[in-house]
Amino acid sequence: MIVLDEINKDEALRYMGHRGEVPQALKELVLKCEKQLLEVIRPAYIFKCFDIEYTDGGIRVLNTSLTFKGNDIKNHLEDCSRAVLMCATIGAEADKLIRLTEISDISAAFVMDSLASAAVEQVCSQADNIIKDTFPTEFLTWRFSPGYGDFPIEIQRDFLDVMNAQKRIGLNVGSGNILIPRKSVTAVAGLSRTPVPKKRRGCVCCNMAEVCQYRKRGDHCGF
Amino acid sequence: MDFKQLLKKDFIILDGAMGTMLQAAGLEAGGIPELLNITDPELIEGIHKKYIEAGSDIVYANTFGANRYKLKNHSVDEIIGAGIAIAKRACNGKALAALDIGPIGQLLEPTGTLKFEEAYDIFKEQIIAGRDADVIVFETMTDLYELKAAVLAARENSDKPILCTMTFEENQRTFTGCCISSMALTLNGLGVDAMGINCSLGPEQLAPLCDELLNWTDIPVILKPNAGLPDPATNKYDVLPGDFAGQMKTAAEHGVKIFGGCCGTTPDYIRELKKVLSETKPVKRTAQKRAAICSPSRTVVINQPRIIGERINPTGKKLFKEALRNNDMGYILNQAIEQTHAGADILDVNVGLPEIDEKDMMVRAIKELQGITDVPLQIDSTIPEVLEAALRAYNGKPIVNSVNGEEKSMETVLPLVKKYGASVVGLTLDQNGIPSKAEERFAIAQRILKRAQEYGIPKEDVYIDCLTLTASAEQEAVMETLKALKRVKDELGLKTVLGVSNISFGLPNRPTINQNFLTMALTYGLDLPIINPNADAMTGAVRAYKLLTNIDKNSAEYIAAYNDMGKPKPTVTDNSKDISLSYAIENGLKEESAKATAKMLETCDSMEVVNDTLIPALDKAGELFEKGKIFLPQLILTAGAAQAAFGVIREKMLAADSAPVSKGKVVLATVKGDIHDIGKNIVKVLLENYGYDVIDLGKDVPCETVVEAAIEHKVKLVGLSALMTTTLKSMEDTIKLLRENNVDCKVVVGGAVLTPEYAEQIGADFYAKDAKETVDIAKQIVG
Repeated sequence: MIVLDEINKDEALRYMGHRGEVPQALKELVLKCEKQLLEVIRPAYIFKCFDIEYTDGGIRVLNTSLTFKGNDIKNHLEDCSRAVLMCATIGAEADKLIRLTEISDISAAFVMDSLASAAVEQVCSQADNIIKDTFPTEFLTWRFSPGYGDFPIEIQRDFLDVMNAQKRIGLNVGSGNILIPRKSVTAVAGLSRTPVPKKRRGCVCCNMAEVCQYRKRGDHCGF
Repeated sequence: MDFKQLLKKDFIILDGAMGTMLQAAGLEAGGIPELLNITDPELIEGIHKKYIEAGSDIVYANTFGANRYKLKNHSVDEIIGAGIAIAKRACNGKALAALDIGPIGQLLEPTGTLKFEEAYDIFKEQIIAGRDADVIVFETMTDLYELKAAVLAARENSDKPILCTMTFEENQRTFTGCCISSMALTLNGLGVDAMGINCSLGPEQLAPLCDELLNWTDIPVILKPNAGLPDPATNKYDVLPGDFAGQMKTAAEHGVKIFGGCCGTTPDYIRELKKVLSETKPVKRTAQKRAAICSPSRTVVINQPRIIGERINPTGKKLFKEALRNNDMGYILNQAIEQTHAGADILDVNVGLPEIDEKDMMVRAIKELQGITDVPLQIDSTIPEVLEAALRAYNGKPIVNSVNGEEKSMETVLPLVKKYGASVVGLTLDQNGIPSKAEERFAIAQRILKRAQEYGIPKEDVYIDCLTLTASAEQEAVMETLKALKRVKDELGLKTVLGVSNISFGLPNRPTINQNFLTMALTYGLDLPIINPNADAMTGAVRAYKLLTNIDKNSAEYIAAYNDMGKPKPTVTDNSKDISLSYAIENGLKEESAKATAKMLETCDSMEVVNDTLIPALDKAGELFEKGKIFLPQLILTAGAAQAAFGVIREKMLAADSAPVSKGKVVLATVKGDIHDIGKNIVKVLLENYGYDVIDLGKDVPCETVVEAAIEHKVKLVGLSALMTTTLKSMEDTIKLLRENNVDCKVVVGGAVLTPEYAEQIGADFYAKDAKETVDIAKQIVG
């Protein structure tokens, strides 16, 4: 089980687009929102390891209905014989709290939304560590999510079905392939017998690169 | 054989898992198992037969996910029809075949985007397709609202027995936050035939949850657990058949009647279960009858005074009426937030105004309110159609306000209360008006109770309002109300309701009268005072009463409410009293901004404050933001503080009957398919601050709605937002439809994935990179 005692506030401030010294009012607001959020979030994650097979039509995830299409996921899983599929969420109550806050205090809602994004990232990195511990003799690539590069987001629904994510952690997909609860992540990481080169990570393969708010201001999303 | 006959048995045995059996037979993960009803019916029939041989009295047909959303291009009627036929063949009269229905696979609004009414239609299609089944089962549900849509669809399109089970986590909540008591109250009210718990955990972990459920309902309880917990690496379940059955025995001894297995269970589990249950004696159950209502995540038991907040009601409130006319849902929601913060346990909802469509407004208000608050609602309307629409849309068990002693009222309202399983407030008046004497009001209460019981409404769901008259006009009537109240409480054993504030009408110093009358009523046995919880004296009187009557043990609630009283409130700056409005806005200080505005209004005219202080402060923040001196969070904080200031000004202007000057209207929407609306809401606040009337259509808005609103309000500017690449198509479609209809307006678009180039490509007139730029565009277009 993953429990968060604290949310990465620097990360959240970065999502908010803040830079430099944090004014007092904002600092207090961030702390207040963090406290409220920590009371309602319920981190949950699941992962499952599958053998994969490279075919002309894409990467087959064996014993499932899934085929991963696109060049980016192919590059990502290069030299991997297995793939770990994972889902993580901070739960539906966080959505409700943000919705409630939006009514009465838009600034708090904005802060809370960014904090919630930071929180689900923390859940993912903790889950990453758990996955690494589960496969101690292999090397894990970083997480690659549907919607990154040319890895189609339309796979979301089948992805959740294969993971039985609705039953196990209450994760659903809505119209437009949006994950619900909103602050949730699905991702694929490859397992390789040999160390994974770092080069694959960064803006080059990101389909948001052109419109990225971080890049525009000379920043980086940390990916 | 039918379900009624089965109920005569000591225990009823359901089947085990279908999915586990199919996976063992080679079904790949993520496939649609229901297609096997067509492609491999023998496999499915074989599994049913194994369960029946092992002892199942009811088998679930292979129809769990056979809905139009999950089946995509396959016919629901065909797949379900085949599934039921297979199950019936396997049963061959020895067992019952259940139409098995799981969650749709899409979450309902407000968490998701699926409408309640659409969910109803999806279930209705399944129910009709499964017409040959012996019983209907809804299982693995986590959203009470979805389950309500399902049960209504079953009740209204079939006469089969209905069995419902929901899936809870170890913290006794479902993923959507529903608690066991709320499930029990709601399903009891809707009149299902059995309810229980399935999936998620093993019998041992589910035992305490079962006990909780047994405590809340007297209908048969179902337990269908997993074979323990799955190993994350191998996915194998950890409880063996013998142990599984052994653990189920305990549940049987506690009163559970219907048993089966979920994920990981096989015919072996059912065989062991059958053996163990044949050696177990059933127990007689005595569930406690309680007066209680609920939302999915909160149950309010009326075992002590509970405050009903009265503020969601336009009577005598200019701002509220104005909000209703303008469709300003935010205003109503804020009333809810304020009252719950102040201590309301239940909220009365009345949105009746002659010039609006009350039914439509009521349904919208209920849906929006239950999206942001977990306080149960009291539906307040005089129109039966409004009551019924609200009862349908309500998620949980509400109170209906109200029925009265007139036969016509009782015969229209009470059947609705029964059908939807609500509680009801009975007013002690009839066609002859309000009787002056306590005896006569008591007689009407008796009559209402009798009729309610004839309709099948349990006694504990009838609350009586003995009606407060105005002391200044009918002084002698005050004690008659209280006498009647006491008799209703003591002799009929019913819960009592009373609107309190009327008592002081026409008198000076009303709060004193109100507070004292409230305290008197409480000592006479009032359970549900309808008051303004924001009035400290009133909430305080209830809290004090609970403390003094030893209800509030160790004064815990009282201390929690007043512990901070007198202590200075921590503020950002020490000299908060003298903070200027411009300082408050620049620093994003909301409360200080409101205070400073109120102070300025003592000496200045509203428009002066707006033009000389507020707008310049906003402009300055905008400029700093553009230059990169401040960042988005501060800009939004500034906007929030200004919003608070405008709230104060607006109130003052409406009170003086001078409507605020509008610069013009702007329509805003987050496009169809997209539910990321925080950016749009930030833009809204900024536009409002600059004096524009924003017609906020919300999120996931169909193209047609945008076009209709643009035409209806004759706007010059429409703002559209989208955050996903997948929803940009909807944005393009919306713009296209606006153009096709020759709507004379400009379109500004924004959202993370947009670029100026793309905006141009999809036919938008403007691209706004942030909220500030949208305001600049509005100035240019609207003026």
